[in-house]
Amino acid sequence: MTATPTEIAAPPPRRKVNILFGLTLIGLLAFLWIVLGFVTASFWTPLNISNLLRQGAMTAILALGQTFVIITAGIDLSVGAIVGFTSVILAWLLQAGVPVWASILITLLIGVGIGVFHGFGIVKMGLPPFIITLATLTSLRGIGLLITNGSTINIVNEPFTNFARADFLGVPSLFWMVILVAVPSYVFLHLSRWGRYLFAVGSNREAARLSGVRVNGIIYLAYILSATFAAFVGVLLASRIAIGNATQADGWELQAIASSVIGGTSLFGAVGSVQGPLIGAFILATINNGANLLNVNSFWQRIITGLLIIVIVYFDQLRRRRNP
Amino acid sequence: MSLEEVSHRHDDSATLTEANRIPAGTPILELKGLQKNYGYVQALKPATMTFLAGEIHAIVGENGAGKSTLIKLLTGVITRTAGEILWCGHPVALATPNEAIARGINAVHQEVVLCPHLTVAANLFLGDEVNQYGLMRKREMEKMAQAVLDDLGFGLPAGVPLADLTIGQQQLVATARAAMRGTQFLIFDEPTAYLTRQESAQLFKLIRRLQGEGVTIVYISHRMEEVFELADRVSVLRDGTHVGTRTIGETNEAELIALMINRSIEQIYHKEEIPIGDTILDVRGLSGPGFEDISLSVKAGQIVGLYGLIGAGRSEFALGLFGREKTTSGEIHWMGKKVDIKDERAAMELGIALAPESRRDQGLCLNLPIGLNINLPVFKRLSKGPVISHSEETQNADQQIRDLAIKTPSRRVLVSAMSGGNQQKVVIGKWLSYGARLFIFDEPTVGVDVGTKAEIYRLFAKLLKQGAGIILISSYLPEVYELADRLHVFRRGQLVASHDFHAATHEEVLSEAIGV
Repeated sequence: MTATPTEIAAPPPRRKVNILFGLTLIGLLAFLWIVLGFVTASFWTPLNISNLLRQGAMTAILALGQTFVIITAGIDLSVGAIVGFTSVILAWLLQAGVPVWASILITLLIGVGIGVFHGFGIVKMGLPPFIITLATLTSLRGIGLLITNGSTINIVNEPFTNFARADFLGVPSLFWMVILVAVPSYVFLHLSRWGRYLFAVGSNREAARLSGVRVNGIIYLAYILSATFAAFVGVLLASRIAIGNATQADGWELQAIASSVIGGTSLFGAVGSVQGPLIGAFILATINNGANLLNVNSFWQRIITGLLIIVIVYFDQLRRRRNP
Repeated sequence: MSLEEVSHRHDDSATLTEANRIPAGTPILELKGLQKNYGYVQALKPATMTFLAGEIHAIVGENGAGKSTLIKLLTGVITRTAGEILWCGHPVALATPNEAIARGINAVHQEVVLCPHLTVAANLFLGDEVNQYGLMRKREMEKMAQAVLDDLGFGLPAGVPLADLTIGQQQLVATARAAMRGTQFLIFDEPTAYLTRQESAQLFKLIRRLQGEGVTIVYISHRMEEVFELADRVSVLRDGTHVGTRTIGETNEAELIALMINRSIEQIYHKEEIPIGDTILDVRGLSGPGFEDISLSVKAGQIVGLYGLIGAGRSEFALGLFGREKTTSGEIHWMGKKVDIKDERAAMELGIALAPESRRDQGLCLNLPIGLNINLPVFKRLSKGPVISHSEETQNADQQIRDLAIKTPSRRVLVSAMSGGNQQKVVIGKWLSYGARLFIFDEPTVGVDVGTKAEIYRLFAKLLKQGAGIILISSYLPEVYELADRLHVFRRGQLVASHDFHAATHEEVLSEAIGV
């Protein structure tokens, strides 16, 4: 008995609220860009904007994969380690003379394999997502270091390393990669039934199961997507820095989670979107970029990022409480 | 140590002694034009009511009539828009839950809000622990708790985790907890919704005992027979309006129902003559976790009722049949063919739909929109290739909302924002468009008001006419008794008796279920 006629005066439709929240985030991003344009001379230079887009691109893709997992009320702590690990794998394959296309394909498949392993640990072994992905985080870094014996593998393939520096239609190729990933992601999460199942599993696993949803399959799917997106980012990173190094992308999993949460994803599951984490990632990238331009100590950047997460998520919570 | 002695730990509190001095039969709590608006909606229109010290005062009304709003106002969960509340003759704010508790106003809710992992003793003393030198006196609390439980005749151990008890036992613990706090005014919000008959009887005993000690009881229930068994007076709410208060001796069920819904229900239990068709399901000797050697069959146009106490194995049988739990032996024949139901999807593909027992744990994705919940079993059908057709999605959701008269402004509203009755309609509605041949409804009318019940029963008839069969699981005997063409009685995981429509009396069925 929780009957009150309040539900008749019901909360405004959720989608409208989400759009509003999306607009607030875009507003924040625009605000940051305008302010930085005024206070620094070099922000609105083509070089800096390209830089910003490159910086944000990789976090954005990671955040997107992470969002699928968080919507199922899980977490993937391993994505940073996967990026470092797969950069090593890719460099290794190229060094061994494997063609670029095959190297990329194999690297992505390894991402799929890691995701399958996560799914297996969660579904079959009953491990909490936090634990299994924490375990792969540390193990993958270890395996990567073993392969390279603690050093880095140089990539001497010019066409491959040029890719990350290239522009297409005046926009950095890395940013195009975000769009390449985001469009199918949007179709998947917001327009397909598997997207709905993702939300249902995150909201109430048992109810989803009793409604005929393949709950285990959906969980596998979420972790496979997250790990594969991370492997893709590993490929992009290898192209950008022209080396494979297992210690790269340290702490990126937290950047990805932060971007997702700033973008309105709820860590309790069943709330999230595709556009949110993308904007979240570019907000974080803008702060880092702006701080660099303003010569703010990089230690301060971390502090500012932390405060920003608290403020944005707090306001998001307030909004949710008002419109349950 | 008895309940009274433990509860007198709080007698030094000034506000409580004030309430103690109010003689029985005089007003302890008065509402004067009490009103609550949410935006433009009047959840409670100006209400003037009086509660007398030491009485049991029932409140009845349909879902959304304003009962919950009233409770929330009295327990300080929400603040009023206008009006006055007099406690022992003085105006009080009741602005916070703590203020209400400090004055001795407490509530026991339908769904127990305690900590399942803590022991019964720890729950009884939660937030009110016995301390010495800043350390908890765990053993002493356990002893006191055990003494209280024994004194109440619950026969419950104080040292076990609350989660090990049945919902009914947990309810008793919640009540004992309220009583221990020196409560003067205790509100029960549909306490028996999930209780077995014996548990209800135990609860009633406790309620009468509290009344004997001068505690004022407000009792909210959908079950008329409980109101007449227990209450001294009854107030009726309808659409946020207090439409009347009657002394129990001066009214009857018909009058109360008429007041509640402002129309007369000829027959709540809507049963039509529907031709019985072919056998849809034939279960032979099915065993699994919690049920053993169950044989029964369901024909088209037939309601098969499963009656028993909670924990008798009916829901477990349903989950086994639906492929959610592994069955260990026995055969299932579907339309004359032996089938193997290995998981939920296999059951659904045959044409079985299950509206499960607990809407919160099994039935609904509470923090998702109504539309998504309704469409969840049929998204595949609503999709063209990988993409869901927006128009079909909208159409299916809106059609169920319309057909079931679910009260909501939009299919986008979250299920958690709806009342219990409307939530139950969503649980049922999600299966209507699935096109099942066999519907299993497990406790479909728990926490649902009379009007909605009647709607649900009419819906059963509609499904039967379309050639479906229904398995109706209920702990509410009148319901299965009046609706089921064939009634099976479960006890301790076994099917102990079967009757045709009205072939046995209530008493016979009941004693079969209890096993006396």
